[in-house]
Amino acid sequence: MDGPERSSPGRFNDGRNAASRRVRVSAVPEGLGIRGEDGFLVAVWRLGDVEREAAPGAEVRLRCVAEPAARLTLEDAGFADWVLPPTLPRRRSHGTLRMVVGLALGALVLLALAQALPGLSRYLVAFVPVETERAWGRSMAQGFESRFRVCRDGAGLAAMERLTARLAQGLPPDYHRVTLRVVDSPVVNALALPGAEIVVFRGLMVDMEHPDELAGVLAHELTHVGERHPTVAVMRGVGVGILVTLVTGDASGLVASAASALMAAAYSRDDEAAADRGAVALLTRAGIGHAGLAAFFRRLDRQEGGSGSLVAWIGTHPDSAVRAAAVEAAPLPRSAAPSMSEGEWSAVKSMCGG
Amino acid sequence: MTSPAIRPFRHLGFSGDICALALKNLALSVVTLSIWRFWGRTLVRRALWGKTTAWGDPLEYVGTGAELFKGFLLALVLVYLPLVAGFIWAQTLIEAENPLGGFLILVLYLLAALLIAAGSYRARRYQLCRTLWRGIRGGQTGSAWAYAARSLLVWVLIPLSLGWAAPWGEMWLARYRMANTTFGDRAFTCDARAGNLYGRYALVWVSALLLLGGLSLGIAGIAAQGMDEEEAAPLIGGLIILCLPLAVVMVGLPLAWYRQGVMVALAAGTGFDGCRFKAEIGYWAMVRLAIGNALISAMSMGVLRPWAALRIFRFGCAVLSVEGVPDFAAVHQGQDSGPGMGEGVVSVLDGVGEF
Repeated sequence: MDGPERSSPGRFNDGRNAASRRVRVSAVPEGLGIRGEDGFLVAVWRLGDVEREAAPGAEVRLRCVAEPAARLTLEDAGFADWVLPPTLPRRRSHGTLRMVVGLALGALVLLALAQALPGLSRYLVAFVPVETERAWGRSMAQGFESRFRVCRDGAGLAAMERLTARLAQGLPPDYHRVTLRVVDSPVVNALALPGAEIVVFRGLMVDMEHPDELAGVLAHELTHVGERHPTVAVMRGVGVGILVTLVTGDASGLVASAASALMAAAYSRDDEAAADRGAVALLTRAGIGHAGLAAFFRRLDRQEGGSGSLVAWIGTHPDSAVRAAAVEAAPLPRSAAPSMSEGEWSAVKSMCGG
Repeated sequence: MTSPAIRPFRHLGFSGDICALALKNLALSVVTLSIWRFWGRTLVRRALWGKTTAWGDPLEYVGTGAELFKGFLLALVLVYLPLVAGFIWAQTLIEAENPLGGFLILVLYLLAALLIAAGSYRARRYQLCRTLWRGIRGGQTGSAWAYAARSLLVWVLIPLSLGWAAPWGEMWLARYRMANTTFGDRAFTCDARAGNLYGRYALVWVSALLLLGGLSLGIAGIAAQGMDEEEAAPLIGGLIILCLPLAVVMVGLPLAWYRQGVMVALAAGTGFDGCRFKAEIGYWAMVRLAIGNALISAMSMGVLRPWAALRIFRFGCAVLSVEGVPDFAAVHQGQDSGPGMGEGVVSVLDGVGEF
């Protein structure tokens, strides 16, 4: 300890130009005295104003609140330890608590958005004009027409259209007129498109054992139409994409589309359960009863894992046995009217030359 | 009258430290559902800048995470969401077979490209303005929109010229960036030209053409066998997979040679206060750096990108020299204190690395 005359060589930048000036720094009563090589005082920094900067190597870099752009480098770290108070503030150590609270709030907002997404999409769909939705669905249906042969067998199609119209009476008036397409594909599937479009694959009809089963599936797809599920799903997809882009910062859309696809499967299960409930209501209203729909699910359940063509129907749908049980739990109407005549049913079964 | 070249830059950072920081950032990003990333990126920059010294004094990065976050939110609301809405609108127009839809898509793509280019220029300005050395700020002049218009022109000319506009375009844009880069009240100068790069570029071009030609011949040969589609498809797929390692050698190595030329020419064309820069880049050292960084980023799924950035800093400091010493006493603090928030569009529209 050689007392207060200890000093350190150093370099000084005055913050006005980029020159580096060799200086000698010593303790003076006011704080740090910074002298040029000629001995003249360049600056005096009050110890209370001095902050420590991060520095590579063994040197100590300081700044002064009163001259924010100036920098002082002490080349003798021992002198720095001796002259500087041990708890010298490091720059920008402010507001750790504020930061933690802010980050937690931000994370909560993201979580809330993710939670609200399905409800928000359902709400926003009300702002999509029905005409836009229809144009959308039509062009998607034309996509199917270009990929598959559309079966236009008069008697069978007419029978199905009559059944569809009968079931659609339970929907909002906008959806009483539904366009039905039967396409020549062995897949056991049927789907609803935005607007009022339903596509039925031939494989489904081959699989059916009773016209009431067909009525059940049509009622299920009609509920999707009436509740605008396909359009809601599109909105949800966009929402998931935006949310994922927010989180990853990746706007190329790669992560976003992968996440949309994953989330779509999860969300669509809710839609399917809703469509099963709605189907029961439509079937009851039409006096057909839901025994056919339940029977169809029971058979799907038995066939699951066995037939590969069933996978398309099952993929985004809940467990078939659970669905059958849910449908069977509803009370059956007292008198069940037939959904089709024998002649109509055989015309339907022979569609697409099957 | 040239002064001897010295290497004034050093990088004193350790790989272990930056990897530890990267892992800490990963953990905090997971906990905060990614919101931490703006602060994390700031910490990485502070580490990279702060361990870099020039003529014995370190650089300082004085940007903050809050500035990056504000810029991100603003760009999200003012740029990204309107663009997404525009694309959805255009999509519905196309579905409705309205001819306006296609036109709108084209306009939106152009707009997005312009915004990305302008955003990257602005991001560069933000980073330069938040970089201090000896207490003096860096900066960038020039107009982001002028730069974006130039970028767009280059992007259009490259395919039109079958690729031959690329060296010229690259240097043209680099000159604009460098000549608008300032330190204090002084601008850098840049007169780097593409002329000497065309030899190296021709090699890349010809080897790419040979590879594509060979591949096409191979596919045509398979097609000539008269096999049906199901038999031919795996053969063609196999051929393409076989060509991948060949592409790395045939196109990758000449491309590295070209990149080396670009960097050497750019450094040699750049000056500050009459002192020229110089880059002495070893070919294989550069190839090792590029392959190593690609592996680091890919194997860590991007988490260890800060380490890759550190390697670039280290490499840059090791190869860059300056002829003479600028008269730093004549360089004064500039007037422009820089933007109040950072990097909005780039942080939304483009996942830039650590710079």
